[in-house]
Amino acid sequence: MNIFSTLLPFASCVVSFVFAFLVFKRYLARRGPHLLLWGIGMTMYGIGGFCEAYYGMFGWNPLVFRLWYLFGALLVAAWLGQGTVYLLAKRRWADILMIVLGLASIYGAIRIFGAQLNPTQMGANELSHKAIVSGGVPWLTACLNIYGTLALVGGAAYSIYIFWRKRILLNRVIGNIFIAVGALSPAIGGTLSRLGIGGVLYISELLGAILLFIGFIRATTPMASAPTATASVATPPVEGPEK
Amino acid sequence: MTDNEQHLSSERKYPALYEKLVTIALGVILVAIVVLLIAAATVALGLFSGK
Repeated sequence: MNIFSTLLPFASCVVSFVFAFLVFKRYLARRGPHLLLWGIGMTMYGIGGFCEAYYGMFGWNPLVFRLWYLFGALLVAAWLGQGTVYLLAKRRWADILMIVLGLASIYGAIRIFGAQLNPTQMGANELSHKAIVSGGVPWLTACLNIYGTLALVGGAAYSIYIFWRKRILLNRVIGNIFIAVGALSPAIGGTLSRLGIGGVLYISELLGAILLFIGFIRATTPMASAPTATASVATPPVEGPEK
Repeated sequence: MTDNEQHLSSERKYPALYEKLVTIALGVILVAIVVLLIAAATVALGLFSGK
């Protein structure tokens, strides 16, 4: 058993599932489509980590690879980003984008489960998109990941700016910094992996899961001491800025 | 920014450490987004195919 290629993704898997459980719990208490989508997104993150750990421990399995590619490489960023879209964008636009994402997800699942695979194209220690021989899927992956990362990181950066400009809700400013960096981490790792630089993907995924988790906890927990204030300002009721 | 918001933000302050850190973090995040977009575009266009 390779510790690097088994324990790192397994740790990502555990962190992601615990995080997803807390997000679903919050969803049941407070509702809101953004919480449901973040919960689904973190569950996908956990499935991706599980598949990577499985590959590290037991080796190649076509079904595990397809599940990894679908949830861990294709959908996770886009579904997490869609949660942020529901939090920040007008409901009508968020619904339209959700329909597009749903259709793209179904199309991606069909393509991935029908794709030709060649595991000899991958490295020995990390799962990689290179095992997919059929064309078309990497393009869809790139589009969904760019959309998801832009929505998640851009949304967090926008929230930081809005709260920072008004000097309110420091906990959400700090939480969103962690969320932005946490979302960037696997995106950078995935890009480096596609550039042929191996060995960073699993670390970046674990780091991302931990930072996203910390960011969520920080954003949803008030600071022990409020920032210096001389005026009272109404605070937005949600994790992001008001629409 | 409205006059009212300018008035409020001039009165309200985060702790000094956070005032600096948040500004730096925002800058770093924005630069990272741009760099990542450029890298993703180059990969998508096939300028770097990887090995």
